[in-house]
Amino acid sequence: MRPRFAVTTACLALLFGQAAQAQSPTPGGMPPPPGMSLAQSNAMRFPQPIRVGQLLGRVVLQPVESQTVLGHIRGVVRDNQGQVLVVMNFGGFLGFGSRLIAVPLDAMVLLGEATEVAAFTPQQLRRFAAFTPSGTTPVPAETVVKVGLAKPSH
Amino acid sequence: MRSRVRPNDFSSAGAFELHRPLIKSLERRGLLRAGLSLGALTLLTGCDVKRPEAVEAALLAISRMNDGVQALLFDPNHLAPTYPEAMILRPPKFNAYYDVMDVKPVDGSTWRLELAGLIAEKRPWTLPDLQAMPQRSMVIRHVCVEGWDYIGGWTGVPLRSFLERVGADLSAKYVAFKTADDYPSSIDMATALHPQTLLALQYGGDTLADPFGYPVRLRMATKLGYKNPKWVTAIEVTNTYPGGYWEKLGFPWFGGI
Repeated sequence: MRPRFAVTTACLALLFGQAAQAQSPTPGGMPPPPGMSLAQSNAMRFPQPIRVGQLLGRVVLQPVESQTVLGHIRGVVRDNQGQVLVVMNFGGFLGFGSRLIAVPLDAMVLLGEATEVAAFTPQQLRRFAAFTPSGTTPVPAETVVKVGLAKPSH
Repeated sequence: MRSRVRPNDFSSAGAFELHRPLIKSLERRGLLRAGLSLGALTLLTGCDVKRPEAVEAALLAISRMNDGVQALLFDPNHLAPTYPEAMILRPPKFNAYYDVMDVKPVDGSTWRLELAGLIAEKRPWTLPDLQAMPQRSMVIRHVCVEGWDYIGGWTGVPLRSFLERVGADLSAKYVAFKTADDYPSSIDMATALHPQTLLALQYGGDTLADPFGYPVRLRMATKLGYKNPKWVTAIEVTNTYPGGYWEKLGFPWFGGI
């Protein structure tokens, strides 16, 4: 019975299965070329308006095929120089032991509901200092910021 | 719980060694592997699985059969689910066969929609021409063949209205599209006439943004994402199978949801 069941399963899979190949042959959130500023890189990614409140809680992925989860967006702040930073939890294991870091908004890209850190590798993010609110001001949830796009990295 | 097939006592320690070849031949995973392998395909088609082109031809034949079955099952009056406007994802998700940095924006003021094939009035359409047509809005789920999805809100001209207006042969088999990013696509006439098939001009109440197909893209609630070309520049009504970008690479043509 088992071989017959297996053959039947294979036949059904062939009959009703859809192609599920990735539509994107290369990763989307590629880092900016050497010498290009984050702002210039972001400008090339057709930045789209989005309310800060809609960014909160979104997952932050690594731009690799496995889409490794790096953390979640916990806040958006502006530093003394006027740069907008995304505060995200990073590191730890199974949700424990993570710390907050602040990543420039221009280093991030949107992929639908998810976001990616396009400009920094996880190794670089590990060297980011732990975020402290001093010297920054929270950006109100109603504020509209512009975030670049990327195609899915899978 | 004790297994019902486990013997109450072992006759001898050598029994396992004695029957090792038989036990090995009954390895379950081996049977499953064999069953799920291309051996099943051989049984189905009689092809030689050592030749990749034969396997590919067989799989494409099955895919074409899938297309036929989906076309038979397609109900031109059945509507796909719609959602509240509050669920619209803003901005929508970008996807293409290239990265967003390679998007070439289209100038809406010089853009023209060329018409070809079985259409009575073939004069090119401008964006204001399309904007002057009655519009319809729909909040639908975009489902990608890759496995992800999102809720999007689209406004535009029902393709049926457009085809009727230009005097298209509605009994033709296919409606084909050409685009500014060289992404040809085509759909069946039944889907082209479905009420949830739009030549979309807006997303979420705003003019389509450049990366999402400005000035005009196709949006259908009844087909997978890759069947919805962006930056449409030409429409042809035809009885000759037009294919499409991904279809040439083996994706199913019908692509229904």
